[in-house]
Amino acid sequence: MKTRKFAAAAALAVAATALSACGSSDSGDANGTITLKFQSLAFQQPTVAASKKIVADWNAAHPKVQVQYIQGSWDSVHDQLVTQFQGGSAPDIIHDESADIAGFAKQGFLADLTPQISSQVKSSIPDGVWQTVSGDGKIYAGPTLLQSYVVFVNTDLLQQAGVALPGGPTLSWDAFQTMAKQLTKPKQYGLGWGLKSPTATVLNLGLNFDGKFFYTEGDKTTVKVDAGEQEVPRRIHDMIYTDKSIDPTSVTQSGGDVLPGFYAGKYAMTVQGSYAAQQIVADAKPSFHWAVLPILAGTSAHQAANPQTLSVSAQSKHVTEAAQFVDFFLSADNLAAVAQGDWLIPTSSAAQAAVAAKTGGKDGWTATLATGAQLTEAPFQQVDNYPKWKDQVATPTLQQYFANKIDLATLGTKLTDGWNQVGG
Amino acid sequence: MTAGARRRRLVRLPQYGALVLYMLFLAFPLLWMLSTSLKSSSELVSVTPSLLPSSPKWSNYSTVLREQGLTRSAWNSLRVSLASTVLVILVGLPAAYALARFRSRLRTAALGWILVSQVFPLILVVIPLFLLLKQLHLFNTLPGLVAVYLVWSLPFALWMLQGYVASVPVELEEAAAIDGAGRLRTLSNVVLPLLLPGLVATAMFTFISAWNEFFFALVLIQSPERATLSLTLARFLGAEGQVQLGPLAAGSLLATVPSLVFFAFLQRRLTSGLLAGAVKG
Amino acid sequence: MLPALLPILLFSAIPLVRGLTLAFTDSRAGFNVPTHFVGVDNFSRLLDNTLFWSSFRIGLIWAFSVTALQFVLGLGLALLLNQPLRLRWLARTLSLVPWAMPPVIVAIMWRIMLDPSVGPISTTLQRLGLTDSPTNWLGDFSTALPAVIVVGVWAGMPQTTITLLAGLQAVPESLHEAAALDGAGSWQRFRHVTWPALRTVVAAITSLDFIWNFNSFGLVYVLTAGGPGGKTMLPMLFAYNEAFRYGEFGYAAAMGDVMVVLIVALLLFYLRSRLRSAT
Repeated sequence: MKTRKFAAAAALAVAATALSACGSSDSGDANGTITLKFQSLAFQQPTVAASKKIVADWNAAHPKVQVQYIQGSWDSVHDQLVTQFQGGSAPDIIHDESADIAGFAKQGFLADLTPQISSQVKSSIPDGVWQTVSGDGKIYAGPTLLQSYVVFVNTDLLQQAGVALPGGPTLSWDAFQTMAKQLTKPKQYGLGWGLKSPTATVLNLGLNFDGKFFYTEGDKTTVKVDAGEQEVPRRIHDMIYTDKSIDPTSVTQSGGDVLPGFYAGKYAMTVQGSYAAQQIVADAKPSFHWAVLPILAGTSAHQAANPQTLSVSAQSKHVTEAAQFVDFFLSADNLAAVAQGDWLIPTSSAAQAAVAAKTGGKDGWTATLATGAQLTEAPFQQVDNYPKWKDQVATPTLQQYFANKIDLATLGTKLTDGWNQVGG
Repeated sequence: MTAGARRRRLVRLPQYGALVLYMLFLAFPLLWMLSTSLKSSSELVSVTPSLLPSSPKWSNYSTVLREQGLTRSAWNSLRVSLASTVLVILVGLPAAYALARFRSRLRTAALGWILVSQVFPLILVVIPLFLLLKQLHLFNTLPGLVAVYLVWSLPFALWMLQGYVASVPVELEEAAAIDGAGRLRTLSNVVLPLLLPGLVATAMFTFISAWNEFFFALVLIQSPERATLSLTLARFLGAEGQVQLGPLAAGSLLATVPSLVFFAFLQRRLTSGLLAGAVKG
Repeated sequence: MLPALLPILLFSAIPLVRGLTLAFTDSRAGFNVPTHFVGVDNFSRLLDNTLFWSSFRIGLIWAFSVTALQFVLGLGLALLLNQPLRLRWLARTLSLVPWAMPPVIVAIMWRIMLDPSVGPISTTLQRLGLTDSPTNWLGDFSTALPAVIVVGVWAGMPQTTITLLAGLQAVPESLHEAAALDGAGSWQRFRHVTWPALRTVVAAITSLDFIWNFNSFGLVYVLTAGGPGGKTMLPMLFAYNEAFRYGEFGYAAAMGDVMVVLIVALLLFYLRSRLRSAT
């Protein structure tokens, strides 16, 4: 009787292992249909919906080439790609951003998309943006959406303080700092800024003062922190400790986590990626009135263009078809739909026009789209070892600086020395 | 009331007080998560949160169940955990019996390996495993993960099982042998019934370890459709973007239910099981 | 015995050995990148890597703190659970709750709890008037490691509590009664009856706890990912990043080897205490 139980258990084991084996076989190419895996990192509901619609439209028009939508996450995409490329299991179509994907391109993991990019798409996207996704004469990614940092303001609190809503194409840093001071009173800060991940922000906005951080001579790249690079960190530091117009707690939080305080009126302004507008629209109460300020400017209003990208894995069995899907994704209407969902700026001018038409410029769209013209290539995107320097040197050092643990001079030395240590 | 009884009464009060504090510390986070799972996203951004949601949003649970990725991951976790547990018991039970009953050089080596593998930093094992599974074409597959879990859970299961076997007096087997029973009959009719509680405890323990496991899955599973529950939940939370906290909390609670049920059932048995393992060893 | 041996050899022993030796190569991620033997290069690089040693130090602080606190709090709870108090079954079930939860979910839960804007801890402290501005427990340089330690203790309490409880229950009631008859108070009974019997269990569970805690990964990975500024970067996290973020397999293996040395040293201490009890 017990032996029967034993046999039953053994059968169960075999069944269990069989169960786990089946259902995990590769969704392969059955009966001549090609299946492509498209891993998308979109997380805001409207964007996910728009992306899925693009996939559905493609699938309807291409019965022999089916695309499968897979959900990924921004937080883990880099580690994932490292292991996936090593293990040969990367998706056919990869969603990432140009600063992150550059390293993989150099390692030879990405296919060249040049033959499949249509001329309409090519001419509609500015050269400066194409440069962020090209190298060695190849285009290794299709640039889709651009993001800029914008300032959101609570217009009710603005009125209360008697400060006028700034007009004009840009807002100077000096004026911005003054506004923040004017909007600070007991129990209310002028600005809440989520700087838990400060590196992207500082490097991006550094271009406002022509601070490039990375300088390449020949094949040697160094990090320099001169006057231009120091402007943005110094001004932020001043706002926190001298002006006391930035909520110090917000500085240790991530951008998204700062929003509840913004809705609650704890700070009158907040600097966020433009995509935050989507959350504000969804989560804030209807009685909450807000606007987008003109783009920040120092000596210029440039910010780094770090477009989201769609690449094709070089290990994919159907590179041509996958690249065709990328081109399809980049067409004006499709790109416009995704951009609208994410409150991001589409790279192509045709798509930008489509978004302007569909939204009528409401909800800060006019100001947001205007920032698109200011986005240009920045050196840090093409540099090897940037992710490591960012994780191990730049982020902790900037965090320490904003926590007032080190001074500006030390910040500079640590950033430059850290680059040498990381092997840059 | 006697002096002794009164003294005991006085001592009881702070004891209950301390117990309540402990219970609060242990249970409050779980309660908070339950509360979060029933709140709407606009309530979740309020800077004056309360324990009780203003109006319970049960739809968070249906949202998360409809969330295809999550139910699929739960199914993956279930299959992997079941398969690992069954294999561990099948492979481990005879080995544990041998370990407990026969004294040999192999026994000391096995016990040594059990201890060593318990404490090895996983980072050392995971890189070669990653490379090995790739060669065996088991990388990014659930059977590959099951194989890894089998080997990784085996030591502790062996430890527990051999403790239980050791607690079954060998005289019982000898008595049965004298009565003329063959070895297999002895084992199945005499030893197995006594072992059953310990077997159940070990099986549940192994199941929960596999269900909760994160590190190996993180490295060895790369396709979202094969991800286990821990992986999917960890990736849910992150990014500069706002995550739907309500459904996430709902999903997290649902993921804990199997373990909570097992543990509630096991809490009496667990005491004796660990006693055998840690002390008798 | 034999069927157990084969998978063990393939998936446990061989990878273990390979992992140890990988540290002496320059193995890294990349398309068809060859691996060469580089001797102790990785280790000399490691000597200068201040970030690694910082994470090592944080790992030790973390392991000691969590283990010690786990033990003290666990012992307290075990002693309470050993008393004939009402609703003991409920208390015992609740004390197992952290163990039943996957570390990932524990981390998610505590992240929600510790959020400075919407978390209950911050807002309660503010409502009680104890603090003016909310503290970002997990994001502030000085509070991150303590906060993470608290979560670690919460997550690890069940194992310690249950093991100690089992040890307490193994002490025969007769010994307690005899001591009480001799006029010993509860503290003296604890010192002379309970503690000696508990000693081996304590040695076992605290050593195991220390090792498990030092090797901890999932909890802190989801809580803080090692931040802010590396203040909660445990060695396992650091090595994981090295291997799977930057693709430096050989270098990461070297870090693992260094961690093994420490663990082996502790293991010897543990084994000696176990062998002493066996005699």
